[in-house]
Amino acid sequence: MAGPLPAGGPAAGAAGPALANATEGPPLANATEGAPLANATEGPPLADAAGIRAAMEYYARQGWTDGLPVVPVTESYLAEFLARTSLHPDQVVLAMPHLNRECTVRLAAINAAMAGCLPDYFPVVLAAWEALAGDGYPIRGIWQSTTGTAPLLVVNGPVRTRIGLNCAGNVFGSGFRANATIGRAIRLTAINVFGLHPHLLDQATQGTPAKYSACIAENEEQSPWPPLHVEHGFDPDDSAVTAIVIRSCVHIEARHTQVPEQLALDIAGTIRRTGALVHETISALVVLGPEHARLFASAGWGKEDVRQFIYSRAANTRTDLAAVGKDAVSRHTRWRLPADHPDAMPDLASASCDPDLVPVLNSPAAVQVMVAGADNSGVSAVIETFGPRGGPPSIARVGDIDG
Amino acid sequence: MSVCTEPFVPAAQAMARVYGFPAYQFVTMPHPLASLDDAQIQARARDLLPAVLRILGAES
Repeated sequence: MAGPLPAGGPAAGAAGPALANATEGPPLANATEGAPLANATEGPPLADAAGIRAAMEYYARQGWTDGLPVVPVTESYLAEFLARTSLHPDQVVLAMPHLNRECTVRLAAINAAMAGCLPDYFPVVLAAWEALAGDGYPIRGIWQSTTGTAPLLVVNGPVRTRIGLNCAGNVFGSGFRANATIGRAIRLTAINVFGLHPHLLDQATQGTPAKYSACIAENEEQSPWPPLHVEHGFDPDDSAVTAIVIRSCVHIEARHTQVPEQLALDIAGTIRRTGALVHETISALVVLGPEHARLFASAGWGKEDVRQFIYSRAANTRTDLAAVGKDAVSRHTRWRLPADHPDAMPDLASASCDPDLVPVLNSPAAVQVMVAGADNSGVSAVIETFGPRGGPPSIARVGDIDG
Repeated sequence: MSVCTEPFVPAAQAMARVYGFPAYQFVTMPHPLASLDDAQIQARARDLLPAVLRILGAES
């Protein structure tokens, strides 16, 4: 079959036209199959560009896209992805019961190929789905929320170098196929398989640029500490994907200091910002640049010391919270609201020994710490995450790497 | 009986299609809701009551 494959699941007809109902049939673009593109790395391919465009435009007309062009997928190309895993193509990788929809290995592969992944990336994509399923938030509808979250994938272990995942300069930026397309594979699947189209089942008020793609690797080689997956019980030789629901990525500029307390206060001051407080408390992933990680380590601080310090200092005064109308919580939702609201009840900090100081973190474990970026300046980032507020993040081992 | 603000109508209709009830009727009201005070909420409820009763089949 030379025509493109439908990108959605059995339920996709409810969210978009099925292949059979298209106003015009899929283009038979010979260039999407076989030898011409396979030779692309050796020189300009001899292909019918109009045929390729016709296939890409067909996908766009079906709505099987994040807005950018997608790669047409044929049965033979799909087979290359499925050959990279021992899982059955019909195995479910993530189900959303409230939508009566589920993603199988086959659908995950189609969308990974459409996103521009190479077949060698597919074990990482499958590990990402396992971690996303374990996280708990996506299957409860957080991807449809007005808050506008996105899944951030963090990759650790040897697979990073094997497939060329960037963990150094411009780690949150563009320029690296593995990062760009693995993250995009998740978004295309959300749209095509789960039907989470903006303005319909995706109700994000503004969303986040991370919705296009958000996949980074840890700079393990320039970290003074055990990497994220090892910290949570994996072997250093394991490759693993951590999945975290995120809203914002806020940068920290601190090029001036060699004092660990100053840097940690800058980070804590960013985490505690009142604008991030919808719930009583928040959680964060601190992505330290190598220079900042080394600053802490040189002073004898481990990750746990960083966590403890941030936990103790990421707090607002009761007065500051009252000024923005967030000095109490709802008795129904525990979302923050003013103390004079009819639904208001005191927050947990009100019963502490210092009720006028309100922590934004419920425990040191609400902060995860990792290292990424270039070793060229005192720049780090705080990723504002949606849980877990304590407890380990959801991490899955990458399997079938040699498949 | 589902009540939603107007910006959520497309999402509500999409969910109704997912569950096989494309003609499911909602009571809709203007946005916003969350920031209204007590008196405004009471007024909103009074305004919505006829529509609620109509969908429930209880109008007289």
